[in-house]
Amino acid sequence: MSVLQTAAISIQKRFGRQRLRRIMLGSIPFVVLLAFWQMNTSMGWLPPVFIPPIGTIWEAIYTLSDGCTGASAVLSMQYECMFTNHILSSLGRVGLSLVIGIPSGIALGVLAGMSRRFAHALEPIGVFANAISGIAWVPLAIVWFGTGWLTTLFILLNTVFWLIFFNTLLGVRGVPRVYENSVMTMGGGRWAIITQVYIPGALPSIVTGVRMSMGFGWRALIAAEMIGGDSGLGFMIFVSAAEYKIEEVFLGVLVIAIMWMITDRLLLIPLERWTIQRWGMVWRPD
Amino acid sequence: MPAKLVVDRLSHHYPDEYTGEDVHALDQVSLSVEDGEFSAVVGPSGCGKTTLLNILAGLLPHTEGSVQVDGREVGGPGPDRGVVFQEHAILPWRTVARNIGHGLEIQGIARSEREQRVQEFVDLVGLSGFEDRYPHELSGGMKQRCALARTLCANPVVMLMDEPFAAVDAQTRITLQEELNRIAIATRKTILFITHNVDEAAFLGDRCFIFSRRPGKLKATVKIDVPREKRIWKDLLSEKSYTDPRDEILRLVREEVFDDEE
Repeated sequence: MSVLQTAAISIQKRFGRQRLRRIMLGSIPFVVLLAFWQMNTSMGWLPPVFIPPIGTIWEAIYTLSDGCTGASAVLSMQYECMFTNHILSSLGRVGLSLVIGIPSGIALGVLAGMSRRFAHALEPIGVFANAISGIAWVPLAIVWFGTGWLTTLFILLNTVFWLIFFNTLLGVRGVPRVYENSVMTMGGGRWAIITQVYIPGALPSIVTGVRMSMGFGWRALIAAEMIGGDSGLGFMIFVSAAEYKIEEVFLGVLVIAIMWMITDRLLLIPLERWTIQRWGMVWRPD
Repeated sequence: MPAKLVVDRLSHHYPDEYTGEDVHALDQVSLSVEDGEFSAVVGPSGCGKTTLLNILAGLLPHTEGSVQVDGREVGGPGPDRGVVFQEHAILPWRTVARNIGHGLEIQGIARSEREQRVQEFVDLVGLSGFEDRYPHELSGGMKQRCALARTLCANPVVMLMDEPFAAVDAQTRITLQEELNRIAIATRKTILFITHNVDEAAFLGDRCFIFSRRPGKLKATVKIDVPREKRIWKDLLSEKSYTDPRDEILRLVREEVFDDEE
């Protein structure tokens, strides 16, 4: 048996046949894309000004991380340490918007789901705000907050909050009445119903809301950073494009996509598996 | 013997959800259930059986009359009345054990005592080995056993059951009926059992209350004098003390169902 075969078998054992096949199938489009990219460079179809050679992307990482020596430099967000600085500030904004947007969206969503009066009061403004969600707020936000953290956070919160609010509201309304009644007949009060019935019952919908809001949030953030930011990946892409540093633009786009994939895989899918899948509330065909 | 549940001249009206017309659901219903008695309410569909149960459970306010449990007037839901619902009302996000202990958890009973009590009722309904399963992993019959154990474990004064076996298959239903009888012997609970199934009512009930069509009125009361220990399907089918009252109930219910067509 050759070394290659042994290695292949041990990889199969580690990951499992099914999973390995899925990963392989999923990576085919990426391999094709990379192959075309490489072919473009070697055949000289489009000049490097439009599509830079793959190698220059790596160089861009080094150029942008020039001042980044040691963890302290990275974490102190020194301006010279551009690349990590941009990643961290984008991540920080998304993180902060989730920390504020998820609890407040769930709280108000549950209230609106429970009380008709509250729903009547909040739904129209929600539809109104949703219609101009995301980047449509950017010009106004710049006038109000200038460029920087507040503007981007405002844009993000506007996206995250309403999505979570509406998904929670719909989720609570969809919880079968009999669950609520059964807790009431056991002597449970409002608080028991909220924490033991409404929130877990609405969780499939809330998780969808979190996923959607992160997806839309990332897009809104990048757009907001391009126009109204002073740091972040969107800002970096915009500045690099203006300076014709196409390889930095490519790098920024790639990092955004990879970061989204990581958050989805590492955060949202495990969260789903631990809650609603275990409870049999959704099925994931595998 | 003191009556545990007393319903006195209970009437209920409500406006129809779509037409707004006044619906007269219950009309001057009076009945009482003794301590440890198993009573069954039978009637054609739409006779207000479920309305009655919802009022007794405190989930629906009634317009006239009174409902008393252990001498206290009912106003809103409370742990003195446990309900087993028709659909699967156990929570999908709780394991079997945590569902069964839910009532005790709400009552603020300490964990160690709770676990002990839960185990007792897990064993009573035959769910041993399934304590850590989630409801979606159980069969329909097992879900209803779990619902039954949840209600019993909270130790209510009166147990109200709303067609709890209507959604399971015929074989499972027979088993569940015999098991409920066994549990009624073991726990001596005061039970009000609602059903449209005449055989079920006669098999389980010490007394059957037969309701008329809407507006639901108490039409007749039939006693079934079969000792609990003798209530096993294969023996009962040829037992006159069962078949006679069963036929009587059937006749009374059929009058209501077929009145229309004459």
